[in-house]
Amino acid sequence: MGSMREIKQRINATDKTSQITKAMHMVSASKLKKAERNIVNFRPLTKRLTASLARVMESDRDIKHPIFESREVEKTVYIIISSDRGLAGPYNASVFKAFQTYVEKHHESSDEFAVAALGYKAFSFARRKKYELLNKEVIQVRDDVQFLDFQAVSDDFIKGYLAGKYDKIVVFYNKFVNTMNQQAKYQTIMPLDKSPFIEVKPKDDLQKYKRMYHYEPSAQSVLSQLLPMVVVNVLFGMILEAKASEHAARMTAMKSATDNAKDLIRDLKLHYNRARQNAITIELTDIIGGANAVN
Amino acid sequence: MKLTVITPSGVLYNEDVDYIVVSSKNNGDFAVLENHAPIISTIDVGYIKMVKEQSHLFTVIINGVLEQQDNFINVIAQEAHVGLNKESAMDHLNQVRHERLEENRQRTMDFLKAERELKKSIREAQASKR
Repeated sequence: MGSMREIKQRINATDKTSQITKAMHMVSASKLKKAERNIVNFRPLTKRLTASLARVMESDRDIKHPIFESREVEKTVYIIISSDRGLAGPYNASVFKAFQTYVEKHHESSDEFAVAALGYKAFSFARRKKYELLNKEVIQVRDDVQFLDFQAVSDDFIKGYLAGKYDKIVVFYNKFVNTMNQQAKYQTIMPLDKSPFIEVKPKDDLQKYKRMYHYEPSAQSVLSQLLPMVVVNVLFGMILEAKASEHAARMTAMKSATDNAKDLIRDLKLHYNRARQNAITIELTDIIGGANAVN
Repeated sequence: MKLTVITPSGVLYNEDVDYIVVSSKNNGDFAVLENHAPIISTIDVGYIKMVKEQSHLFTVIINGVLEQQDNFINVIAQEAHVGLNKESAMDHLNQVRHERLEENRQRTMDFLKAERELKKSIREAQASKR
């Protein structure tokens, strides 16, 4: 261990860092609450949209739409949801790792897929790996994320899918399990799985009526508008969940950083006191030695 | 009739109405009066005029679905705004959208600039070598 002054300096530096991490922990905790509230606010829309689609499907079981049809996959679009900033523990790394493992397993060359990066970290990751990027500019995932923020890119891949340019769209994101636990997951959002909408039985009094809907102007055009909305909604739900995961991950990371800093300071203080005692002992022997010499 | 407008940030509007007029760019105009047969329609860009007694309000909508059955009208919208008349509500919504996009652009630029500066000062400080 170094001199007393060096130790003192390190204690001060560690203390200041721990103050910052503690503040970040508290900020993330309050942001997490907000993100959870956003998820709750978003739920009614998902519920009603699913119910609406279910009712449309109910009236016509054999309904067909390109979004439901799975086809031979030539080109896949991967949407990676990450954060804009780091210091969130393994949050971004785990998504990227899951993505790379998946890609290595399913693709031989990087020409077979394109990436839509949501968040600065994903953008720079995709650029570093030289993947084909759908969005030419960074799309920031703000804390108060809105549809509008990523509408350009979502329109892009939905149109691309309907035009046959892309055949499959998969999202990689962090699923929010609880505050301590987030899981990197992937989910296919296009082609859309028909089954959840068929199984859903809306539990209202209207159930007993045989539903005969008027479509304005036609069933097909209603579906053409409704289905992209459902897809974007699913994506938006994932973004909200990823946002909550990000804050939770950052909170946990900052908590452990603060705890580590505390441990470090305790150790350093021990060393400091030892060094101090040592210095006093030396001083004392000097004085006693000096006094003896005078006598 | 009961009308509910739902957006991603929660329930925007939930009131009783006498009748509504739906107008959209893709489907044109139609009205839904009381006891209308069940109907589903979509709105790409348009508005719903909500009439209650003598007064009326407008909800402008971007990307929405409207569903009516048994006098329950269910509107699901990606973006919506309620206003006293359709022009001002639409202007407001467009303005909000424009501002948001502009702000996003600005934020991205600031962010990239800050990131560059950070990298530069890390290099200059040679923090990795100490």
